[in-house]
Amino acid sequence: MEEQTEMVGRAFVDHYYNLFDNDRSSIGTLYQPSSMLTFESQKLQGSENISAKLNALPFGQCRHAISTIDSQPSSFAGGIIVFVSGSIQLLGEDHPLRFSQMFHLIPTVEGSFFVQNDIFRLNYG
Amino acid sequence: MDPDTVAKAFVDHYYSTFDTNRAGLANLYQEASMLSFEGVQIQGAQSIVGKLTSLPFQQCKHDINTVDCQPSGPAGGMLVFVSGNLQLPGEQHALKFSQMFHLMPTPQGSFYVLNDIFRLNYA
Repeated sequence: MEEQTEMVGRAFVDHYYNLFDNDRSSIGTLYQPSSMLTFESQKLQGSENISAKLNALPFGQCRHAISTIDSQPSSFAGGIIVFVSGSIQLLGEDHPLRFSQMFHLIPTVEGSFFVQNDIFRLNYG
Repeated sequence: MDPDTVAKAFVDHYYSTFDTNRAGLANLYQEASMLSFEGVQIQGAQSIVGKLTSLPFQQCKHDINTVDCQPSGPAGGMLVFVSGNLQLPGEQHALKFSQMFHLMPTPQGSFYVLNDIFRLNYA
């Protein structure tokens, strides 16, 4: 069970940041109307608003590099909590920004997962 | 009480207990609780408190910079995402950390920690 949770967590993280970095306009497919995002303390709800926010961020290209992934079952009908830390390199910037992010994934009927909760914070200093 | 107030109250209580009476953290976990501490996975209140009380420092002080929270689903759970500093005695610089709690309501009207993930933020 632990191994499966970890596998799902890793697979999701790969997919999420790959989509973010290469096809950000499709990131909305990972969220649903009930999804919540807190992005640097700004609160948004629903895949449309979340996608709009992420696609309006003030940088064109970016690349996420992931340092740590921790996953645990959330005890919500197959839900998984994934805690990520890493860095994001913006085009033209000298140094990457460090960040931490937390996802709460809920299974879909198709056998995949969507993001029910998403919290993102830059790690300064 | 609104979720942000509950989250802030929990965070205050958790870290002040950690800093002044670490063994008292046992009240905040149950048998089903899970902790990932710098990649080490531990389950159950006893084992979790065993781990936290055996960390290689006696005293410490947490200073919290950010607290974000969201409801986790229909069971009344709450996700709390914290970042801050951890100062150890004798160390010149504080360690930066991020931590995530998934709180579940108890019948008594309080909360316990079902999921707990702790990571230091290295430079």
